[in-house]
Amino acid sequence: MMDFLNLILEPLQEVFLTFKVFLPNLLAMIVIVIVGIVLARIVRIILIKSLTAINFDSWSDRMGFTTLMRKGDLWAKPSATLGAIVFWLLVIVTLMIGLSALNIPAIGGLVEQFFGYVPRVFSAAMILIIGYVLAGFISQGVLIAAVNSGYHYSKLLAKAIRTLLMVLILAMAMEQLQIAPSIVLAAFSIIFGGIVVALSISFGVGGIDAARRMIEQETLEKGAAETKDDIEHV
Amino acid sequence: MSDITFRTEVHEQLGKIGAADIIVGIPSFNNARTIGHVVRAVQAGLAKYFPSHRAVIVNSDGGSSDGTIDVVQNTAAVDFSAILLHHRVEPISRIAFPYSGIPGKGSAFRSIFEIAKTLDAKACVVVDSDLRSITPEWIELLVKPVLSGGFDYVAPLYHRHKFDGTITNSIVYPLTRALYGKRVRQPIGGDFGFSGRLAQFYLTKDVWESDVARFGIDIWMTTTAMANGFKIAQSFLGAKIHDAKDPSSDLSNMLYQVVSAAFDLMEGYANTWAPICGSEPVTTFGFEYTVGLEHVNVNTARMLNLFREGLKNLREIWLEILGAGDFKEVERLGALTDGEFCFPIGLWTRVIYDYAIAFHQKKLPAEHLIKSLTPLYLGKTASFILAAKDMEGPEAEAEIEKLCMEFENNKDYLVTSWK
Repeated sequence: MMDFLNLILEPLQEVFLTFKVFLPNLLAMIVIVIVGIVLARIVRIILIKSLTAINFDSWSDRMGFTTLMRKGDLWAKPSATLGAIVFWLLVIVTLMIGLSALNIPAIGGLVEQFFGYVPRVFSAAMILIIGYVLAGFISQGVLIAAVNSGYHYSKLLAKAIRTLLMVLILAMAMEQLQIAPSIVLAAFSIIFGGIVVALSISFGVGGIDAARRMIEQETLEKGAAETKDDIEHV
Repeated sequence: MSDITFRTEVHEQLGKIGAADIIVGIPSFNNARTIGHVVRAVQAGLAKYFPSHRAVIVNSDGGSSDGTIDVVQNTAAVDFSAILLHHRVEPISRIAFPYSGIPGKGSAFRSIFEIAKTLDAKACVVVDSDLRSITPEWIELLVKPVLSGGFDYVAPLYHRHKFDGTITNSIVYPLTRALYGKRVRQPIGGDFGFSGRLAQFYLTKDVWESDVARFGIDIWMTTTAMANGFKIAQSFLGAKIHDAKDPSSDLSNMLYQVVSAAFDLMEGYANTWAPICGSEPVTTFGFEYTVGLEHVNVNTARMLNLFREGLKNLREIWLEILGAGDFKEVERLGALTDGEFCFPIGLWTRVIYDYAIAFHQKKLPAEHLIKSLTPLYLGKTASFILAAKDMEGPEAEAEIEKLCMEFENNKDYLVTSWK
């Protein structure tokens, strides 16, 4: 009878002992998560207040970020959105730290993988942000220069340049995230090459008349421009 | 702020000269074809009008590869007996050297100011090296108000074709006049006279690593003199004829250089210009006479086409800068035919003030912002040309005066929008 009882109690005792060892880790995780969430909330409040103080929302309007958010169906203020992003990033980091405090080998490996991936996510985000601003800056410069040169398809040219740059930047970001890099590279080459080939074919075959008209128009304008200005502007 | 370090040979020359009453600075870059005439005219002017003053001609060169410095050094002294009754008492020294610093007219001028300070000059003159119409009288007209009249700054007053100098006429002159309250007709003329005291004041300003060193020196000198209470005059010099400009120089670049320099100065002197109302004439020297001017070709159809292209493609940018009300007015202009096209002066004034405010609020990168003004400027220029095509010079000048008054009367709009 005693042997039978021992057979039942021993595993229970082992479970209890394991739980006793595990309990401080669990408590540590709960504390880390709670403190982390509280800190994340505080950071969010401070960040939003600081961003409001430096007129981040107006700057975002000017840089086109607000428009981009609206296009993505995000209707919160840019400062509040950035606050929420930082908050959730901190919550995820807190959760990962909390999970690693459990000292479970499988979770430890997962956490290690996560933290190994974070720098890539960060650099991909930086590539996207800087790339977006740069693409906007370059396409705006091209638009203004083309208009001032009297080019008829300025807007189309500026939009094409912006799209090509965004494709390039997206490919760079995905390559950074190592999301099927070979597929991304192949897709990028196909899209980029495809655009160039499509343009050549459509212009060469489908647009013979349009090309003729454009060339004729340019020639006409050059003729008109021969009555050039001798004005000294300064 | 660190002083310029001159080359040893320049130091030696300055040491030998010791002191001077008048410095004539000629900035240059590949002007071998024209600088000889300028040097001769300056020599003759100094000999004729300032025979007993110690004078130095300074050529501050930007690294010319066509032998500009050699031309300055080797230009034979004028045979004064052919043009003067009396021989010059004091010899005229010449210094020609490549300046150091950022390439640009401003760096060239900085070296001239430094030499004026070293030699303790009483009066300085700067003249362009590509001038074909400079005469010895220019030196008298730019120096005498400083030496004998107690003026610190003498701006040029030229007789120009009614269609020339359109950036000056439609933007720089009305804007600086409304801002600083002085009617300096050619604030970016390029040929100026100024006192040694003002040259030393210029050197105290920390601008020599900025765009002022590159391209904004003319408007900077005029504005600095006006905004800091220096005594200002202008001298009528006749016609300004100079070498044909580089045909590749782009209008929007030119507009950017001039307008950004004027807007930049508005930032620094906001407390000075904000309370000024109206304007006052400045003392004018020289005998004004009419000059036969060459015919100027204009192509208003091309200008208006560019204006309409701008309206079609820069819609969002203009809307952001001008606001819905003024943009609607600009849009209405786009629908007019070439024959009936007229850019109202009230609208143009608000356009310039809106651009100044947008520049101040950094609504767009500065270069994009000002270059996006080009089609509007061309629309305004075409409108002026169409209106003034049958006018005589004084009537065209009266139109510019009306525009200036509009800038002055609407200044409140600028002041209240400037935060």
